[in-house]
Amino acid sequence: MTLLVALVATTLFIADSMKAEYKQDIQTAPDIVVSAQKALRYKTIDETQAARFLEIDGVSNAIPRVWGEYYFAKGNVRFKIVGLDEFENSTNSTLNRLRDRLSYDTNMMLLSPKVKAILNKNYYKDYFNFILQDGTLLRVNISQKSIAIPSIRDEYLIVMPKELARKIFAYADNEATDIAVSVKNSEEIAFSARKIAALLGNAKISIKDDLIVEYEQMYNYRSGFFLTIFIITFFTFFVIIYDRLSGLNSEQKREIGILKAIGWRVEDVLKTKLYEGLIISLFSYSLGIILAMVYTFIFNGGILKNIFLSSSRLLEHVPLQFHLDYATLALLFLISVPLYICATIIPSWIAATVDADEVMR
Amino acid sequence: MKLITLLLISLQLFAYPQISESIKEKQLYPMGKKIHTKKCPSLTKDSYQTYDALLLDIEQRSICGTLSKKHSEALALYLWDKEKAHSTHYKKITVTKDEKCQVCGMYLHYYPTWVSQINYPNAESYKFDGIKDMMKFYFNNEEGIVDILVQDYYTLETINAREAYYVTGSDVLGPMGNELIAFKDAKSAKTFLLEHNGKHLYRFDALSEKMVRALD
Amino acid sequence: MIELKNVVKKYANGVVAIEDLSLKLNRGELIVLKGVSGSGKSTILSLIAGLSKPSSGDIVVDDKHISKLPDHFAAAFRRDNIGFIFQKYNLISSLSVAENILLPLYPLNLPKEELEPRLQEVLNSLSIEDKRDRKVKDLSGGEQQRVAIARASINNPNIILADEPTANLDEKLSLAFIKMLEGLKASNRTVVVATHDPLFFDLESVDRVIEIRDGKVV
Repeated sequence: MTLLVALVATTLFIADSMKAEYKQDIQTAPDIVVSAQKALRYKTIDETQAARFLEIDGVSNAIPRVWGEYYFAKGNVRFKIVGLDEFENSTNSTLNRLRDRLSYDTNMMLLSPKVKAILNKNYYKDYFNFILQDGTLLRVNISQKSIAIPSIRDEYLIVMPKELARKIFAYADNEATDIAVSVKNSEEIAFSARKIAALLGNAKISIKDDLIVEYEQMYNYRSGFFLTIFIITFFTFFVIIYDRLSGLNSEQKREIGILKAIGWRVEDVLKTKLYEGLIISLFSYSLGIILAMVYTFIFNGGILKNIFLSSSRLLEHVPLQFHLDYATLALLFLISVPLYICATIIPSWIAATVDADEVMR
Repeated sequence: MKLITLLLISLQLFAYPQISESIKEKQLYPMGKKIHTKKCPSLTKDSYQTYDALLLDIEQRSICGTLSKKHSEALALYLWDKEKAHSTHYKKITVTKDEKCQVCGMYLHYYPTWVSQINYPNAESYKFDGIKDMMKFYFNNEEGIVDILVQDYYTLETINAREAYYVTGSDVLGPMGNELIAFKDAKSAKTFLLEHNGKHLYRFDALSEKMVRALD
Repeated sequence: MIELKNVVKKYANGVVAIEDLSLKLNRGELIVLKGVSGSGKSTILSLIAGLSKPSSGDIVVDDKHISKLPDHFAAAFRRDNIGFIFQKYNLISSLSVAENILLPLYPLNLPKEELEPRLQEVLNSLSIEDKRDRKVKDLSGGEQQRVAIARASINNPNIILADEPTANLDEKLSLAFIKMLEGLKASNRTVVVATHDPLFFDLESVDRVIEIRDGKVV
């Protein structure tokens, strides 16, 4: 019983945790992201296009973004570099906070703890030399402060002034990775996206709504994936209950018979069985939840997590955040405890109403 | 002769740029404002006769720190046009979880972009889940109104309903079905009319009870 | 007073355990039901205790028609009036001595202060107070039987019923048991013993020996 609860709980916890993170990601995502393509493959976009987007009535803002990855050979790891302009607003409030912590006059960047650690290990403490496209080195100083929580799914994050990022990626002056478009009225997002598509023709346009749909598909309780897990769990539960319902063993029957013989009424028997069942199921439930929490958050979900990750192309290796959804806990409780109690009481009730005399023969 | 040419050329160099209103409103002014607030809040355009002079000082004499070309221009434009900024800024219309439409009783927090409001003296105010319902209320309670506020469709800014432009018969439906969609200027109203198959464009005074009911 | 009137007990498998039996037992009597296994004497005890219902006929105990009592009231009747010592003791082996003895009183939710002295008294009278917290399964046969007796008397019943109580005891313990029964009778309780142990047949304290054969009084 405990193990079963633990299993289900773990699944649900992982799902909830990732759901919460994903939700967060969606909230910070821009309404529309426009990127260029050449031969259906990714290409940098001309940032002056942003001006054309601004002409569209529904569009409230269009920010050319500069971000990408840098491969650090010595540490065999890829850094995600995000370039920020001192006076531009991102839809992501964490990035905005980081933007304000950068110093734009000096050649300086902010690192996440993991990046700092790995650079440190390779003897880069106060600065780091990026190897540019043309082979020359660009020295950038490392800020004393570091990025507090890499809550965004990037453990290896570097934040720096846009111009520095441009140099590292060898972007020309008007080149950008993509353009983040904001549309104030959500009703107009799809329509504005179409207008942008009309303007550009070859561009790839992804809308936040699409992300939401994908998210729903993954985490909606009605979706196929969850349904499968639920069905398996319920099935197992019912197997357990069926096993109990098919009667108590003879020892238990005898005991109930004895109790009846010495003067216990049916209700007395049931009351005791109820307490018994309650205690056991509550204990199992609590233990199961605790085990699940330990497994999910301390051991990071292990195998089960990969079941989710593999089916999502968006998520990468992430430490799961502690996130407790009370609805989930309640659901688990309602599934396990009452069912178990019923499974315990019903056979007892049946046994107790049998003629006590018969039982002892 | 050479002097005049030189003068003309230099004037061209820093002439007030041809930039569309949209870009200015949506991007340059907000950026300029941010720069102003953060780096040189005391700087004003008062001591400058021309836009060019202001821009020159910002760019070349770094009176607001070192700024890139783009940032300098944003700051200059913001300062120069600051007077043009909106005279009356209405507060954003917000709703709590339990507020309901005065006419139809629906909970408003599900449709935040559609909420409109009528204010009476003594902080008496009523909210509605669309302009249609609001107008139904309006035609029976015209006395003593202080303001009528609606949200511009594209920017969601709160604007004065009496000065707004309305499009009906479009394919954009509100919580009560066919709606009057509000716009702060004629240009965006016309764009919407074309793009969303609107039938009519009105100003506030042209709205009548009969025509509003016909929308149902 | 216990009275059985024209009682018939037929089991579902067709076996007739009791056929038209009538008995009258007075209060304070020590009665022995004599008969071999299967003669129906155990059934009579069951009927008196209200553990089973007759197929026809009436059973009256202290003016209560217990043959007609629904299960709920029958159980309460047993709790308040009957102390049954089973042939196989029927103790709950996983529980301790004290717990087993107090079982009949458990549903009454009596406070500790009330239960404790009664428990002590009963433990002492049977000389098992040192075994109080031992699990029943760790006790010898004789000790278990004493626990069974203790349990049967904890609720101060008017009627004590014992089914083959000395079947597993040696002579010494059997005599000790008989002494205890006599003590119970002395406190004005009705004691009915179903047995084929000859030790019971010549006792002075026994008021009547009723022979049962094939479900009928001989």
